[in-house]
Amino acid sequence: MPNEGVSAGADLAPMIAAVAAGDRAALRALYDATAPKLLGIVLRILKDRSAAEDVLQEVFVRVWQRAGSYDPQAGPPLVWLGAIARHKAIDRIRQDRAARLTQAEDGWLERLADTRDGEGDLARRDALARCLDAVEPGHRDCLVLAYCEGWSREELAARHDRPVNTIKTWLRRGLMSLRGCLEAA
Amino acid sequence: MSGGTDRDVAPFWAEDPDGAAGEYVLGTLSAEERAAFARALERDTALREAVTAWEKRLAPLAEAVPTVAPAPRVWEGIEARIGSGGGTASPDAPRPGAERVVRLERGLRRWRAAAGFASALAAGLALWIVVPHPATTDGRQYLAVVDRGGTLPALIVRVDLDGRTVQVRSLAAETPPDRSLELWYVGAGSAPRSLGLVGDASLTLPAGLRGVADGASLAVSVEPKGGSSTGAPTGPVIYSGRLIRE
Repeated sequence: MPNEGVSAGADLAPMIAAVAAGDRAALRALYDATAPKLLGIVLRILKDRSAAEDVLQEVFVRVWQRAGSYDPQAGPPLVWLGAIARHKAIDRIRQDRAARLTQAEDGWLERLADTRDGEGDLARRDALARCLDAVEPGHRDCLVLAYCEGWSREELAARHDRPVNTIKTWLRRGLMSLRGCLEAA
Repeated sequence: MSGGTDRDVAPFWAEDPDGAAGEYVLGTLSAEERAAFARALERDTALREAVTAWEKRLAPLAEAVPTVAPAPRVWEGIEARIGSGGGTASPDAPRPGAERVVRLERGLRRWRAAAGFASALAAGLALWIVVPHPATTDGRQYLAVVDRGGTLPALIVRVDLDGRTVQVRSLAAETPPDRSLELWYVGAGSAPRSLGLVGDASLTLPAGLRGVADGASLAVSVEPKGGSSTGAPTGPVIYSGRLIRE
């Protein structure tokens, strides 16, 4: 193993298939292989270890129930798992209306560039880094903070001192710019 | 299909479905939009494909995050919620002699923040099961103890298969006003079954719960007032412990 994270996505798919068939040992194996990465993702959004671990629990209960709906054609296992984890985390912070401390963490783009080999797909990652770089800085900041740290439109509006509607426009434009760049690649 | 009301008005994503799908993935839709969009995803293949495409495009950013090792209680909670794995014998083999009270795996989580009802419960949770009569010791009685970090036993549950009861008496439980704690029996290889709410004076074993398998466990989850409405644990599992034969 090159690192403690998820090495190759390839062997996760059979685990998910086994989980769909009700194999608890496979769920455990999947958990061992991916839980640290998923907890990392959720923790960045929720900032609270205890809440993040609750969400992680829900993620794997969900995986247990819904493994049959995973479609390998639709994307790599880690993308599917990461999406479940992110959505659970976002659901949680959107329910908790209490104001939370939003403190932007820098270095997402650097980290994207530095991610060690063997994790994820190199070409996809490089393309995303390059295309994010081409997005207008304010728009990019919104995209990255929303995706990586769960910032809401309102929180982004406060950060950039702009109306919420402007932020919505920035997000949409940023997304379109990103998609255009990725598809041109 | 009896006609959804949302068909009358164009949904908010009608103008820019791909942008809305992107924002859904980013997580920046408002709570209401998010819920409506998630419902639409269930039936709209094109929207679902747009979402999947965005998940794929952005995933490398999420994958760049450093890993964090989860605490053991996370897996214990998962196991309790999906039905504990069969086959594994209890590590705490009962010893002969006096009543065995075995310290079981702790599923204790910290209460802070998670659901916002923190301290009241953490301070006061302690439960005791009344032992109805001397054990008939034919293997029909089971015991589970879950402790709260080595101080007081938090939960002792005696399952009496002959009397078909689980008796619970609460000494100092302060259940949060808007929640209930629900006790679950998690048999090997089967879905959790509710034994009732913690704090109820006496709980009756659900019909059909005959053989208590070795390796089965008990779990306590946080539920809405009155207990889970789905028949399965919905909230976080805060304690879990294996049942051992007396």
